[in-house]
Amino acid sequence: MTELDSETRKGIRRTALILAAIALSFYLGFILIGVLNA
Amino acid sequence: MTTAVADAHEVHDDHGPEKGLRRWLFTTNHKDIGTMYLVFSLTMFFVGGFMALIIRSELAQPGLQFVHPEFFNSMTTMHALVMVFGAVMPAFVGLANWMIPMQIGAPDMALPRMNNWSFWILPVAFGILISTLFMPGGAPASGWTMYPPLVLQTGDAFPFLIFSVHLMGISSIMGAINIIVTIINMRTHEMTLIRMPMFVWTWLITAYLLLAVMPVLAGAVTMLLTDQFFGTSFFLAAGGGDPVMFQHIFWFFGHPEVYIMILPAFGVVSEIIPTFSRKPLFGHDSMVYAAASIAFLSFIVWAHHMFTVGMPLTGQMFFMFATMLIAVPTGVKVFNWVGTMWRGSMTFETPMLFALAFVFLFTIGGFSGLMLAIVPADIQYHDSYFVVAHFHYVLVPGSIFALMAGAYYWLPKWTGHMYNEWAGKLHFWLSTIFVNVTFFPMHFLGLAGMPRRIPDYSTQFADFNMIASIGAMGFGLSQLVFVYVLLTAKQGEKATAEVWDSPKGLEWTVPSPAPYHTFDEPVHVDRTVAFPQNP
Repeated sequence: MTELDSETRKGIRRTALILAAIALSFYLGFILIGVLNA
Repeated sequence: MTTAVADAHEVHDDHGPEKGLRRWLFTTNHKDIGTMYLVFSLTMFFVGGFMALIIRSELAQPGLQFVHPEFFNSMTTMHALVMVFGAVMPAFVGLANWMIPMQIGAPDMALPRMNNWSFWILPVAFGILISTLFMPGGAPASGWTMYPPLVLQTGDAFPFLIFSVHLMGISSIMGAINIIVTIINMRTHEMTLIRMPMFVWTWLITAYLLLAVMPVLAGAVTMLLTDQFFGTSFFLAAGGGDPVMFQHIFWFFGHPEVYIMILPAFGVVSEIIPTFSRKPLFGHDSMVYAAASIAFLSFIVWAHHMFTVGMPLTGQMFFMFATMLIAVPTGVKVFNWVGTMWRGSMTFETPMLFALAFVFLFTIGGFSGLMLAIVPADIQYHDSYFVVAHFHYVLVPGSIFALMAGAYYWLPKWTGHMYNEWAGKLHFWLSTIFVNVTFFPMHFLGLAGMPRRIPDYSTQFADFNMIASIGAMGFGLSQLVFVYVLLTAKQGEKATAEVWDSPKGLEWTVPSPAPYHTFDEPVHVDRTVAFPQNP
């Protein structure tokens, strides 16, 4: 694959980390709902 | 369009794929990974289909004939898990891997190593899941919904079920992140978001759905695991927990999951109908807004799956009307597909036939869904074969027909040869006839009161069950024609770059078969020619 420019690489890393954080917060958030309801 | 896209045709085969097994184990190429997803999903389609045939064999006549009731329950559970997570979802991810980079002018997916990992987790997950069939206590038999406390009675298979569901979730989340990151960061500069092809748009929305709900499923099954092994009582009434809470959490995942399996299908059909109608897609922007509306609404309708558990009247009314509201954006889509065909110069090659059948038959599934949204009616239909008929109309002539349509549409681009059109049409007609023979009688069975997930039934249901079983056998055998088409896919005449009569989109600007590396150099697109269907 062609080398991507640094701006694109930075964008990819930033977007991926934000999305991973969203996924993790949904996972932990719903377990927290369970804890609060139990 | 070929002349409009400069510099897009250079073939960079100077460093092609590795040879042998290493190519498939370590590949980071989106086309290789797309192929692996598609082959894996087809394999799972046949595994899940075989389980369906065991179910239909048992149900062909009243009384118990072939399998033990516990094994029958395992079959309904495993059939659903394999088809949902192993066949339909990976098949759409396979199409996404193959087509999204080519449709947006990107050289590959943004995170190619993670892409490889996303795929290779799947065979491990399904290896674990299928191995439970041979464990003491048998495979999970609580239904794909895994409701406690029933699921906690699963034998040795329980932790393996939970682990495999976690692995499927991790794979899906990584795939979703990859797709969003690729679309957001790697589109060719001239392609603004609203100009993106519908397949890309529907997958972007689907990926956000995946990202939001797969962790919710993971959270739910983690809590099941701790209830079973670590003394918690999230869902155990005896310990102060609430089993109904599991149902709420599960369906908060489960209903968007339905749209995860249908939105990419909308995208595929929205690519195919314009090509074979020789007209731009009618209402491209409204299609985007409709898909986004459906995705949003999918988060606020979950409790329509559980009207019978008991909930306040206000809750029932809210979930009933919210569910009915989904018919509006879905109707926009159906009317736009019809509007695209209106006065078009239509031809009926195999992809178009599957896409047309999708529009008709998915709409039947949509209408029966509307019937199920009505609370007093749903209390009658709940857990009956009417529900089985409804969701199979959405998923088989819906999702799976769209997958077939997409496979036939892009197959010449992948192989460089035209497939056997006669065999393709035979596959279409056999599938369409038998899918209706299988699932249409189930509406009557459900309305007459036959419950789902049972191996035996009252003799009054015998005739329709026999018809459905004959249909299922016919549908299963029909899919062997598709295997024949795939096995002979490289024997047809050479395909041109455009394959069809002036299709729109960047994927048709590269040669057929698509080179191992495409769009290594930034693409410069004449926007008026390359995206005529968009503003």
